[in-house]
Amino acid sequence: MKICTFRKIALLTLLLIPALSGMSFGQNISVTATVDKNQLTLEDVLQLSIVIRGTQNTPPPELPSLPDFRITSAGKSSSTQYINTQRSVSITYKYRLTPMNTGAIFIGPARVRINGTTYSTKPITVEVQKPSNNATHENKAAFIETTLSSKKAYLGEQLVYSFRLFHRVEAKNLDLRLPFDKTWFNKEELGEPKTYIKVINGLQYHVQELSIALFPLKRGLIEIPSAIIELDLFQNTRNRSSRDPLSQIFRDPFGRNTQAEHKVLRSQPLSVDILPLPDGAPKGFKNLIGQFDISAELGKNDLEVGDTTTLTVTVSGRGNIKDVFVEEPDLKNQFKIYPDKPEFKQTVDNNQIRGEKIFKFALVPLEAGNKTLPKFSLPYFDSKNAQYRIAKTQAISLNIEPSSIKEELNLVRSREQDVPTTKPEIETLGTDILPIYTELDKFQNGGVYSLTFLGAGFGSPVILFVISVFIMKQQNRMKYDVAFYRRRNAYKNAHQRLKQMSEHSDSKEFARELSEILREYVGDKLNLQGKAITAEEVAVRLKESNYETRQAEETRKLLEKCETLQYAPMTQGSTKQLLGESENLIKVLEKQS
Amino acid sequence: MKLSNTISFFLFMLLTLSPTLQAEASDYLNEVVRANGLYSDKQYVESAQAYEALIHDGVRNGYLYYNLGNAYIRMGKTGPAILNYVHAQKWIPRDENLAANLKFAIQQTQDKIEPPPPGTLNILFFWVNDFNFNELVYFAIGLNFIFWVTLALSMCFPFLKIARNALLFVLLLSFVSIGVKIKSESDLKLGVVLATNVEVKSGRAVDAITLFQLHEGALVTVTDKHNDWLEVRLNDEQKGWVPQSSLGT
Repeated sequence: MKICTFRKIALLTLLLIPALSGMSFGQNISVTATVDKNQLTLEDVLQLSIVIRGTQNTPPPELPSLPDFRITSAGKSSSTQYINTQRSVSITYKYRLTPMNTGAIFIGPARVRINGTTYSTKPITVEVQKPSNNATHENKAAFIETTLSSKKAYLGEQLVYSFRLFHRVEAKNLDLRLPFDKTWFNKEELGEPKTYIKVINGLQYHVQELSIALFPLKRGLIEIPSAIIELDLFQNTRNRSSRDPLSQIFRDPFGRNTQAEHKVLRSQPLSVDILPLPDGAPKGFKNLIGQFDISAELGKNDLEVGDTTTLTVTVSGRGNIKDVFVEEPDLKNQFKIYPDKPEFKQTVDNNQIRGEKIFKFALVPLEAGNKTLPKFSLPYFDSKNAQYRIAKTQAISLNIEPSSIKEELNLVRSREQDVPTTKPEIETLGTDILPIYTELDKFQNGGVYSLTFLGAGFGSPVILFVISVFIMKQQNRMKYDVAFYRRRNAYKNAHQRLKQMSEHSDSKEFARELSEILREYVGDKLNLQGKAITAEEVAVRLKESNYETRQAEETRKLLEKCETLQYAPMTQGSTKQLLGESENLIKVLEKQS
Repeated sequence: MKLSNTISFFLFMLLTLSPTLQAEASDYLNEVVRANGLYSDKQYVESAQAYEALIHDGVRNGYLYYNLGNAYIRMGKTGPAILNYVHAQKWIPRDENLAANLKFAIQQTQDKIEPPPPGTLNILFFWVNDFNFNELVYFAIGLNFIFWVTLALSMCFPFLKIARNALLFVLLLSFVSIGVKIKSESDLKLGVVLATNVEVKSGRAVDAITLFQLHEGALVTVTDKHNDWLEVRLNDEQKGWVPQSSLGT
C-alpha cells in the first residue's frame, strides 16, 4: 500500500512539474540586459543577452533601434532552479550585434511586456574601435582582401572583382556579403570559388578566392564599399594548464583543445574610374567591348536547287560576348533562310570571361548558278588598345546546280516575300432540288392508327398482366390453401376415378367404390372428410352450401342406392347406368359450384 | 376447345384477308412505280396527278408527298410544292433531302417571311419535332409492353423494381410527348399560299381593306377559320383574312 501511494504521489508530481514550469511568478519578474564586452573593434561581435527571470512564458523582447549594429538572433535558453524548495525560472534571449561604425555606441533599453506590465532593461554603452594593424595583416589568424583587375575601365568593359579570405586557423560558418550596386554594374559569376595555400611572411595561409565579372553601366569614379565576412575561427588553446590532463577534460571532454571565436572581417573599399567610349564608333557598333573574332563556314559548297546546307557563323573572344547578335544575311531572295537558335558557350580563363557564340542558318537555294555569300562583320571596341575594330569573315562561294528532280519544287518563299496562297472559294454555279425517292420499301402507307389498334397496342399488355397476376395468385393459393386445392381438383379426381371404374366386374366392389368417389367428391368440394359422412349428411351439407335441393337429394339417393347395391347383385347394364348417373350428377354439381 | 376455336378463326381471317391486303399493297406500289417512272420521263404533270391520286385514295406517306413536291417544283408551281413538302415533314421530319428541297423551294418564293418561333412546349420537348406521330406511338406501345412485362416480373424478382420505376417514368414521358405532338400539330397549322398573288384583308369580305399582299409559296400560320375565310398570321402585327381557296393547308 505504501509503495502504491508513493507511486501515485510521484506520478502526480511528474505531471504537475511541466504544468507548473510555464507558470509565471509575477512578484519576482525582472528583466536585465548584459553584453559580453564593453570595448570591441570592428572585427569583433558583441553578444547581447536579455534575461527574464520569474517566468518563461514571454514574448521575445522588443530591442531598441540599433542602426550602428547588424543584429542576428543567437537563440534562446530557459532554466529552472530549485534552491531550498524555492523554485526560480528564467529565459534568456541572445543576440549577436555586428558593429558597423566606430565610436561610443549607446544601446537603449529593451522592453518586454508580461501580463500587461512592461519591463525595461537598463541602457548599455559600448566603445567600438578600428582594428589594429589593419594594413599589414601581420601575424593575424585570418584576414580578407579584395582586388579589382583595373583601376580604369571603359563603359561596358569587363572588370574582375576578386575576394580572398586568408586564414591560418580553421574557419567555419562563413557569411559573406559582397558589395554590389545594380545601378552601376552588371554582374556575372566567374565559376566556383578557388582554394589554395599561400605563404605570407613565412606563415602558411589557406586562401579561398571568389571572382566576379563586373560590367560598368555608368561613367565616373565609383567607390566599391568594403566586403564583409562573418565567420567562426577555431583557435588552439594550448597554454600552461594544458599539461594538466584533468583540466583538459573539463575544458573539452572530447579533447579538441580549440576555442571558437566569432569574427567580422572587412576589406578596404576600392575605387574605379569608368571612362566613356571614345567617339568614332563604326556603323553597326552595338556596345561590344573586348577582343572578338568572327568566322563563317558552309556545310557544302556544291549543291542543287532545293538542297539544304548549313551556314555557321562563330563569334569568339573575351568580353561581353553574350550580347553578340548576328542578323540573318541578306541573300536577295536567292536562298530560303531558316535561322537556328544561337548556341552560347562560356569559359573563364585567368579570371577573364571568354566565350563562343555560334549562329547557324539553314540555306535552301532557290535558283541555280555561282553564288557568293556576303561577308559578316562585327564592329567592337578593343579595350586593350583603346580603339574600335571591325572583325570580318571571308566571302564564301558556292556552286548551285539545277535540281535533278523533275517535279517542280514547292518551295516556300521567305517571310518578307510570303504571298497569301488562299485557295479560291468554290463558286456555286447553280442550285436544284434533290431527286425523288424510288425505293419501294419507303412507300409503306403510314396512315393513322385506328382506335382498335391503339386499344390493342396499349390494352393487351395490361390484360396479359392481369391474367398472369391471376394465374400467379391461383398457383400461390394452390400451394397454401388446402380447401381451395381440394375444391379445384375435386372434379378432376372424381372424373378420373369414374373412368377407371368401368373395368371392375365385381358389383359389390363397384358400388362401394362409386359411393366412395361420390362422397370424396362432395368432401373435396366442401372441404370435409368425405369417407366418414353419411348420405343424409351429404345432402344437408350440399344444401347448406347453396347447391340446389334437387341435386342434393339426387346425390343422397344415389349414395343410398350404392350402399344398398353393396349387398345385392347387379347386372352389367345397371352398373353402366349407375356410372352414367354418377357422371352426370358430378357434372351438374360442378356447374353449380 | 374454345381457345382452339378462336385461334382457328384468326388463322382463317388472316389467310382470307392477307391476299386481299397484299393485292391492295401491290396495286399501290405499282402505282408509285408508275408515277416515279413518269417523273423520270419528265412527264411532271402526269406524275403529279398520279401522286395526287394516291393521296386522294387515302395513302399517307412522307416520301410520296416529297416526290409530289418535287414534281410541282419541276412544273414551276412553288406553292403546291412547298405545301407537299410541309406535309411530308409530318411523316419524315428527319429527312435531309426534304429539308434541302424545302429550303430550295422557299428560296424561290417572293416573300421573305420568318418561320414561326417554336412554342414553349416544343422547346421543352425538343425531341418531339424529330419524330413523326406514328414513331412516337410505336415507341410508346413498345415501351408499354416492356413496362407491363417488367411489372409482372418485378412481382417475382424484386431487383427489377428500379427498372420498373424508370420504365414507368419514360412511358409517362412518351405519353406526354404524344400529347405535345398532337397539340403542336393542331395548334400550329401551317398554310401555303397557292395563288400567284393574294390580298390579305382586314375582315372576311372582298371589299375589306387590304392589309398586305402575299405571293405564291408564302408560308403562313393559320389561326382561325370562318366559312370560306382563313385567318393568317405572319407575326404579332401582320395578320388578316384570306379566301380559303387561295391557301393550301
